[in-house]
Amino acid sequence: MKRKPFSIAILGSLLLGCAFALSGCNKGPAITVWVGGESAKFYQQAANKFFKDHPEYKYRAVVKGVDTGTVAGTITTDASAAADIYTVAHDNIAKLVDAEAAYPIENQGLIDQVVADNPQGFKDVIYATPKGETEKKLYGVPYISQSLFLYYNKKFVSDEQAKTFEGLQQAAKAADNKAFTIVGDDGYNFSFTMLARKESDKSSTLKLYPNGERHDNWLQGDDEIAFVRWANEMFADPNGGEWPPANWITEVQNGKVCALIGGAWHFNSFAASCDDFGIAKIPTFTLTADHVQGLTGVSAGDVYRGGTFADCKVFMMNMYCAEEKREAAQELMKYLSSKEVQKESFLEVNNVPAFAGVDSWIAEAKDQMTEYQYMLGVAQTSMSAYGIAQPFVKSLYNTYFYSKNGPQKYVNLIKLSKAECTLDAIREALFRIEYTWGWGEDVPEGKLPATLPASTAERIEA
Amino acid sequence: MSSSIAAPNKKKKYRSQKAAMRTSKIVSYILLVILSAIWIMPILWIVLQSFREEFRASGAYVGTVTTSFFPTHFGVKAYADLFTSDFNGLEYAFPRWIANTLLVSVCCCIISTFLVLSVAYCMSKLRFKLRKAFMNISMIIGLFPGFMSMIAIYFLLKSIGLTQNLFGLILAYSAGAGLGFQVSKGFFDVIPTSLVESAKLDGCTNFKIFWKIILPLSKPIIIYTALMSFTGPWMDFIFAQVILGNANPELWTVSVGLYNMIFGPQADLNLFTRFAAGCVIVAIPIVSLFMFMQKYYVEGVTAGAVKG
Amino acid sequence: MAEAVAKKEKKPNPVGRFFKNIGLAIKNFFVNLGVGIKDRFVDFGKRFVDGSIGTKMSHFVLGAGNFYHHQWIKGFLYLALEVLFILFMVLCPEVNGTPYGWRSLGPEGIGLKGHDGTATKPGSDPVLMLLFGLVTIIAIIAFILLWLSSIKSSYKADLDVREGRKPTTFKQDLAALFDNKFHVLMLTPTCIAAVAFTILPTIFMISLAFTSYNQVDMNALGTKQFTWVGFENFGAVFTGVGSLGTEIKARFFPVLGWTFIWAVLATFTCYFGGILLALLINKKGIKLKKVWRTIFILTIAIPQFISLLTMRNLLDVNGPLNKILMDMHIINKEINFLGLGSDYKGGEFIPKLMIIIINMWIGIPYTMLMTSGILMNIPADLYEAATVDGASKTKMFFKITLPYVIFVTTPYLISSFIGNINSFNTIFLLTGGGPTITDGLTTYKAGGTDLLVTWLYKLTISEQMYNAGAVIGIFTFLITATITLITYRNSKAYKEEDTFQ
Repeated sequence: MKRKPFSIAILGSLLLGCAFALSGCNKGPAITVWVGGESAKFYQQAANKFFKDHPEYKYRAVVKGVDTGTVAGTITTDASAAADIYTVAHDNIAKLVDAEAAYPIENQGLIDQVVADNPQGFKDVIYATPKGETEKKLYGVPYISQSLFLYYNKKFVSDEQAKTFEGLQQAAKAADNKAFTIVGDDGYNFSFTMLARKESDKSSTLKLYPNGERHDNWLQGDDEIAFVRWANEMFADPNGGEWPPANWITEVQNGKVCALIGGAWHFNSFAASCDDFGIAKIPTFTLTADHVQGLTGVSAGDVYRGGTFADCKVFMMNMYCAEEKREAAQELMKYLSSKEVQKESFLEVNNVPAFAGVDSWIAEAKDQMTEYQYMLGVAQTSMSAYGIAQPFVKSLYNTYFYSKNGPQKYVNLIKLSKAECTLDAIREALFRIEYTWGWGEDVPEGKLPATLPASTAERIEA
Repeated sequence: MSSSIAAPNKKKKYRSQKAAMRTSKIVSYILLVILSAIWIMPILWIVLQSFREEFRASGAYVGTVTTSFFPTHFGVKAYADLFTSDFNGLEYAFPRWIANTLLVSVCCCIISTFLVLSVAYCMSKLRFKLRKAFMNISMIIGLFPGFMSMIAIYFLLKSIGLTQNLFGLILAYSAGAGLGFQVSKGFFDVIPTSLVESAKLDGCTNFKIFWKIILPLSKPIIIYTALMSFTGPWMDFIFAQVILGNANPELWTVSVGLYNMIFGPQADLNLFTRFAAGCVIVAIPIVSLFMFMQKYYVEGVTAGAVKG
Repeated sequence: MAEAVAKKEKKPNPVGRFFKNIGLAIKNFFVNLGVGIKDRFVDFGKRFVDGSIGTKMSHFVLGAGNFYHHQWIKGFLYLALEVLFILFMVLCPEVNGTPYGWRSLGPEGIGLKGHDGTATKPGSDPVLMLLFGLVTIIAIIAFILLWLSSIKSSYKADLDVREGRKPTTFKQDLAALFDNKFHVLMLTPTCIAAVAFTILPTIFMISLAFTSYNQVDMNALGTKQFTWVGFENFGAVFTGVGSLGTEIKARFFPVLGWTFIWAVLATFTCYFGGILLALLINKKGIKLKKVWRTIFILTIAIPQFISLLTMRNLLDVNGPLNKILMDMHIINKEINFLGLGSDYKGGEFIPKLMIIIINMWIGIPYTMLMTSGILMNIPADLYEAATVDGASKTKMFFKITLPYVIFVTTPYLISSFIGNINSFNTIFLLTGGGPTITDGLTTYKAGGTDLLVTWLYKLTISEQMYNAGAVIGIFTFLITATITLITYRNSKAYKEEDTFQ
């Protein structure tokens, strides 16, 4: 008696489950595309439109929202489990090419479009040399640009205060909270100190793989030392920078920080966590006598602006994309990365376009955007002018992901107490980081030179 | 007990004893209330959070964890969103996850229960050459941490094309089930062997003994085994994610989905109330199943573990 | 001097006896194995010499003997399986490459070249080489067993004929499967499934411990290849020499130590807490026992990932618990209970303490549920006798209740100790193994509260340092296996396994 409804329920749920499971296996061959979760719907529509307009390609598009970290992780473990076209930040390109997970772009139309549309900074970082070959090939098709900028809570910070770190600090003092926070303690998020530039002429002594040259780095300039001192002091201050918290959203929500240095991908969360906010360039800071003590290349009163890596997200084609699909896949990539679709994606889902001259387009199309969108676009494109695209030399040499503990060392330096943060300690640590960039490992034990080199050339000889 | 033994001439002592008993009873009640409050508080909190419906001045919905224990405004938006909105572009994600989990858990339940009972019966009531060896091997294998072989199972399933696939997950969940026969064996051990022997004298085959005599006597352990294997897929969030892949939310089971809503690279902290709603929905059937079958659960566990 | 004294006293101590027993067990194992192998060979020779022409043929063509005895279906099945095996060995490309590939785990793989010299297909995969190598070995073993079984079946038919019986028909064989060979029928599915999805993966992971399969190192070198390295990885844990480097040595022992401390504390807090709670609820005169019990049992019934994640959010720096404590002026600054986030500087003590407390929240009801029944089963006459003797309540508790409960639940105590060594959920969901240890070593990602098993997860799944993970897994196995062996072999359940019924 009792059993009947029970077994019917089980049978019913089983059938339901089967129906759902099978509904996934739709008919017809598909080209799968992975994009960021927030823009999956947009690109699904765009891809559908493409295949409707091009009936000669008998495929349908399946677009899924997958974040870049997951993409890179999945592909290095098991590229066959990944989509035909996937999207990653450009600095993953070398790693994926080395892991035999990416297929070079061969479609001449697409290559021409990439070359014509993109700024030189991006064109420098989307080529890679496949294993066993000598010639560079195009792997990445840029479609979104990314950089850091500042979100600030207008409840605490005025627009004027948001222009300088000193202003932020002042606002934090008044509200008895922290001036700003960052999202993570890796090399990318700390690029705002390392990549800072002089406000007057946008100059910096930093050299990071110039022209793809592996050993030609320079991190020991006097300004870099002053930046470390500044950041060290900033993060020690009770109303200064807050070390990346476990959950920055609730920190913003509860009014514990005034501002966040983040990217466009934090837009929705930030908007949901405070009532009225502004978006601006990363603020400037002024060096004090303490910061420049014992240094010659900088002087007190110099104004610097926090810098950023200016990256692009790229479409890439999977090595496991079946041979017969490749033509259609590349045509699809060509369409999805075209200027028109990039512009639309900004208006619909806040993806800041990658093409050259995007700043002038944002100024032109202001009336099509919301107020916040416009602020976002302006802040990011003007930060891009201060930024450099994260450079890499093969998969091994990269500031961010794969150099062994380079970013970690920089973070540890900023974490030091004031007493530990001596000129010699900073110099040595910066030398070690620089060595890691060039050689992929820390300075071997006992190999630390007695006097640190004063220039790149000197160090290479050493 | 003491009251019945107390002699009448010890009335004074009896009275003071009674007073002492009353205070001890009051203390016990207070203690129980405090402890219950501690135990209930987190559960109450997550239920309250699922019914929170607060908005910012700007009109944005507040879905994150907030500092207040009680919501200022109640509503069912979190539930409505859970069933209608998408996750990372996947439409109707939550109903899908529920359906996937149902499929997996029903299949696992059937296969695992069959495997476990058949092995346990053989180990308990039959005697054959490699019996002891089988028991030892299964015990040794069981001592390896499960996470160790997880990635190997992934490679294995991949080589037969069953990763990113629910059937691969069913296979992975239920294939090893037969080695977890100890609890059921403990139960079968308690069934008198004389029963089996007399049936044998009557000319019953081993199959008949199993089917007609042992199984009808084993309702508690069948229910326990089935319950355990049914609820397993609702709780596991690691293995399923490895087999199904981080990138395939349409295949996830409900626990993988809920976990990824607020943790990991695809998390969105503004989904916390939705996560809470999902937790409540998942917990209700699991908890009621458990409460309903509590008796069998205790019998199952004690059959395996409590043995002098 | 002291040594001499110690040598004189030849009292057998339990540890010594344990190792002596292990020694004896190993000796017996090999002696038995030797005798077994010898017997098998003798049997094998006897069958070949003594058997009919069909049996002799069966040594070369499986099922020949069965055909000879007109057991057509059986013979055909054997033959079909042999053909299948040969086809598998010949046609499966991964298997073809095995004998060479397994030795070095494959040559450097540069993908197959297309028309313009670009790689169009990925290169050979050493993971598959290793995996299929194992599959092939298992297939060969299975075939040898099949081969022997074919010979035996034919020889049995020979004997039947010789003794004037008819060889068994297929129908009879099938019927036997439901009677005196019932165990074969019942165990076959489990054996196949377990070999494929439990034993094979375990052996695979064990073999990874002897290779250089470490995705971090391989990424750094820009290669997809790895090879055998012998015991180097195990050595690195103790000496720091080897490709795993000194960091694994620096991390292993703290993690091991904490795993033990955690297991002991977690087991005993929950165990005694549970007994006390059960006593409290079962106390005479307490009404609504069922309601109280249900309230506590809720935490067991709710899936752990839900209750633990709830706890994690409840205890968040910006969560409600901190707010309540602040409002009550118990604390004046938020406490980061679980040490989450890279801004945490409070050391490992608070997170560790919190984990143990939260684990009590989860574990105490479990013991309560277990012991409730046992408490009710304590023979009442024990208490009655004690009351007559004028024993106090406390005395009764320590002299009767506790010893009885401990006596009955010792196996549960041991299994929960082992369970706690492998307690993944609690740590992973609450702290994720954090807080990060800030000593400059970062490669192995073991945090302040990581147990061996959560570390193992990080190493194999998140970091893809498979060889390091496998080494840690093997150590975890050795620890749990030792504990189990010592306790289980001494337990009544094992010694009297047959007399128990």
